[in-house]
Amino acid sequence: MNWTAVFGPDAWVPLLNGGVRLAMPIALAASGLAYVQRAGLLNLSVDGVMMMGALGSFLGAYATGSPWIGIAAGIAAGMLISMSEALLVVTLRLPQVVSGIALFILGHGLAVFLYRMIFGVTSSPPTIDGLGVVSIPVLSSIPWIGPVLFAQNPVVYLGLALAVVVWWLLEKTTVGLAARASGELPRALYASGGSVAATRWLAFAISGAMAGLAGAILVVTELKIFGPNLTAGRGWIALALVIFARWKPLWVVAGALLFGVIDSFQLRIQSASGGISSEVPYEFFQALPYLVTILAMWLSAARADRSYWPTALGDPYRKEDQHS
Amino acid sequence: MAEGSDSLTRVGLIEPRGHTREIIAGAIAIMGTLGVGSLIFLSQGVDPLSAYFRMLQGIFGSPSDIRSYLTEITPLLVIGLGLAISFKARLWNIGAEGQFVGGALVGGVVAINLADAPGYLGIPLSLVAGVAGGAAAGWLVGILKARWDVNEVITSLLLNFIIAFAYNYSIRQPFQDPATYVPESAPVPEHLELPEFPSIEVHIGFVIGLILIPLVWHVLANTRFGFRVRMIGENRSAAHALGVRDRRMIVQILSLSGALAGLAGAIQILGVQHRLVEGISPGYGFTAIIVAVIGSLTPVGVLIGASLVAALTVGGEALQRFEEIPAAIIDVLNALLIVFAIVARRFVRNE
Repeated sequence: MNWTAVFGPDAWVPLLNGGVRLAMPIALAASGLAYVQRAGLLNLSVDGVMMMGALGSFLGAYATGSPWIGIAAGIAAGMLISMSEALLVVTLRLPQVVSGIALFILGHGLAVFLYRMIFGVTSSPPTIDGLGVVSIPVLSSIPWIGPVLFAQNPVVYLGLALAVVVWWLLEKTTVGLAARASGELPRALYASGGSVAATRWLAFAISGAMAGLAGAILVVTELKIFGPNLTAGRGWIALALVIFARWKPLWVVAGALLFGVIDSFQLRIQSASGGISSEVPYEFFQALPYLVTILAMWLSAARADRSYWPTALGDPYRKEDQHS
Repeated sequence: MAEGSDSLTRVGLIEPRGHTREIIAGAIAIMGTLGVGSLIFLSQGVDPLSAYFRMLQGIFGSPSDIRSYLTEITPLLVIGLGLAISFKARLWNIGAEGQFVGGALVGGVVAINLADAPGYLGIPLSLVAGVAGGAAAGWLVGILKARWDVNEVITSLLLNFIIAFAYNYSIRQPFQDPATYVPESAPVPEHLELPEFPSIEVHIGFVIGLILIPLVWHVLANTRFGFRVRMIGENRSAAHALGVRDRRMIVQILSLSGALAGLAGAIQILGVQHRLVEGISPGYGFTAIIVAVIGSLTPVGVLIGASLVAALTVGGEALQRFEEIPAAIIDVLNALLIVFAIVARRFVRNE
């Protein structure tokens, strides 16, 4: 195996550039999750929402030939399935864990089923035109930093901007204040004239849009095809990341970058290892992002400080409780 | 997350007031699922009645159909029983997929290396090895939860991937059969394959699953362990205050849940696949979550749930053979079943 392809002096820029690119789906899903969980909602379905976003973007881009319309369709598909979770847990006040897992399963099942309905079983999978790299003039010629940060897919710039928007919305606006109240002390939100239900529906819409976009990005920038399990558990990694980053949207992005680099690293090892007959245990490196996630959860739990947890996370809210 | 404060009844999983409402809710869920299924069939220009007839035919049409139906029930039943125990304690093990694969790997490797052992020794040893493999994966989730309060939903799910990669490596390198060119192990020695019943040719793993039903029921209903499981599920901090060693219980419950998934994995290798092959599970660990939830976390309910879900699976495969409906409809119907089940229960209880 050619190790210099992974560790050589020329390998670092592509490694980090790939890391930033691969971080985006997790960063987007996780910043949406930070918002919805701060509003008191677990939203365990996020990986299934990403699958629907991936399918929506694939269909949109396939039908119109435009990756950007694909991305819009992915966001819409993600919102649709996320709003179904809002219906279950906000309006019907169903248990959040079971509802989330149920919609996780539904998102995966429905996405694959719709894809097979439309395309049937094909010998070679249909592909779409993806988005290419857009280098930002001047900035991209800064040594080291330029090629890593400023020679990226336009979606990367969009994603970073959206993550900042989510942070701003959550931490700096009254809408975000209502969301945080809904996650800490929903009674207080109700008492001050706000609507817990509307706040939580909006949170699901935001989380669904972000997770839908996360799935869409996977398709239009990375894979350009659709297939079962293409999220590879990234939604669950995002869930872990939110806890690790203590529900702070900007820290979530920083954490996602770490995972992106690990992912980029394992992909390079896999492609350098020489495939199925290789004696290199490349499966170990494939497992690395998941191992690191569990390790990170363990570390962040070991320095346990429960005060960061949104107090009402996972609790149903019913107005009747006000009067009892 | 949000531990212990609300009871299982409020959470909406366990019905304390008899079985009638449970049955009504189940019937509503099934009718809702079949109803939406009919709409999907109509949208594809397929007559729903003939589609459902095809499904029934695929399940009961011939002795070999019935055999594959019972074979399909087995892993769902065995995994589902383990999940019912952990869900009852409100421990959300969604890592049964990995625990199943882990049990298949360990059980299969032991069987392959026990060619000299007689069947009455080699089969139980291999199954026990599978149990140990699954239990180890469950134990890890449990110890992280009990000692450091690491969320079990996420760790158990992520372990699925790690175990899958370990399995893929094992059949690609150390245990790969040099006689073939694909990533799969040598076959299990023939005398260590699970015996089959002469007339219907169903392997005895199905009977192991049936025996486990009263066993799990007894443990949950009549033993101190079962009582503590329910106490932790109702209110962990109250259980702790009453002297239940809740941390140790959490490790035990998650290990037990993993053990049953591991047993199912070993049964699958010894009874069905007869060697470690790629893609050993079509998602049994996830489907079993649906089984446990629609079965209201009771052992008999799990049997009913497993029979339903296996019927959708075997029937759905028949549908793909006869009509232009992709087999992926199985996953949609399964997912609709769990969504309708929790919604129906919500309404039946809330009158």
